Amino acid sequence: MASNMAAMAKKSEELALVERFRRGDDSAFDGIVEKHSAAIAALANRLLGWPQDVEDIVQDVFVAAFTGLKTFRGDCHLRTWLFTITINRCRSYRYRRILRLRRTPLDDAVPAPARGRNAEEAAMATETFDRIRRAVRALPAKYREVVVLRYLQQLETNEICEILGISPNTMQVRLNRARKHLREDLAQLIEGKS
Amino acid sequence: MSDERLKELLQRADETAGAPVFRQPHASEIRRQMSRRRLKIAALPAAAVLLIGAGLATICLRSTHKPPQPQQRIATVEAQLLQLQAQTDAVLKLVHEVLEKDRQEEQLTALEAELASIPDAAEEIERQVDKTAFVMLYRADRLYKQLRQTDSAVEAYKEIIQLFPENQWADVARERLSQIQEHRINNSKTKGVKKCEPRNV
Repeated sequence: MASNMAAMAKKSEELALVERFRRGDDSAFDGIVEKHSAAIAALANRLLGWPQDVEDIVQDVFVAAFTGLKTFRGDCHLRTWLFTITINRCRSYRYRRILRLRRTPLDDAVPAPARGRNAEEAAMATETFDRIRRAVRALPAKYREVVVLRYLQQLETNEICEILGISPNTMQVRLNRARKHLREDLAQLIEGKS
Repeated sequence: MSDERLKELLQRADETAGAPVFRQPHASEIRRQMSRRRLKIAALPAAAVLLIGAGLATICLRSTHKPPQPQQRIATVEAQLLQLQAQTDAVLKLVHEVLEKDRQEEQLTALEAELASIPDAAEEIERQVDKTAFVMLYRADRLYKQLRQTDSAVEAYKEIIQLFPENQWADVARERLSQIQEHRINNSKTKGVKKCEPRNV
């Protein structure tokens, strides 16, 4: 009950911001950017395989939001709507990249140093996590999107379905298949660990 | 591999990948970017039309005239170039004017919206006066009905009538005063009767 009330309050606050923007108040848009840009950057970074530099995508998403906000009906949360735009932008970005035959370098991510471990353990951990990231990058786009939204963005099933425009059954099927792919790719790693 | 284990591994892999690098875009920046885009969209067809026009003009000139002398040809080309330049300038000027008009319209809409959001001053003052009168009446009623301080209540009612004689709550205060007066008269009558009655019946 309390969570419902909080969600409703949040939604009405978002709608008030949107209304202010429609009336020509640019600071309302800046407020939306400030509130959601970090989450959008994190999502784009994960969907594109952790390239880290996601400034162009974030810019694109907010340009699209700027033009689209005037027609935003408020049927869903603003975050859900922005995530849908982000996913679409990432898809077209990847498509363009494939067309240009540009491949994302696999070792571009700079790993953070693991604290409280010795150098060998840290190196092993880095290699392990690199491998996991490579496995996620190797997933087909529709499976990778579900994995990122579920496990890394930690969204609820209904929000994922809303963002991707799919039914809960489809989402579950995609998630199971993604898990199967990951299990196959990382089996050796898991066995080695256990 | 369990779901929880997979989740944990993925999250740790994500954490070790490092944070994304980006800069927060501002509304004014996006607005500028969009107007540049609009200018491009408007200028491209105009340039295309001009080029086609120039091409057609050249074809027409070639078909109607005999091949002119080199000096004449240079002069014609120069004249055409000048004409083309003038046309381009005119089109660009028009595009700028249209964009400027768009911008002014946007500003006007924004100002109108802002104006609409400001409440009418007279209405606001009237509302505040009404509210104050009501609060004063409420306090006076409390003095009279709950605290039984009739004299203070009478003072308060009189103050309302004096400060807001035209207000609806001043009418209510007048009603209350007349009620108090009636009550007092009745009380005094009752007391008078009692005085005349024999004490031992």
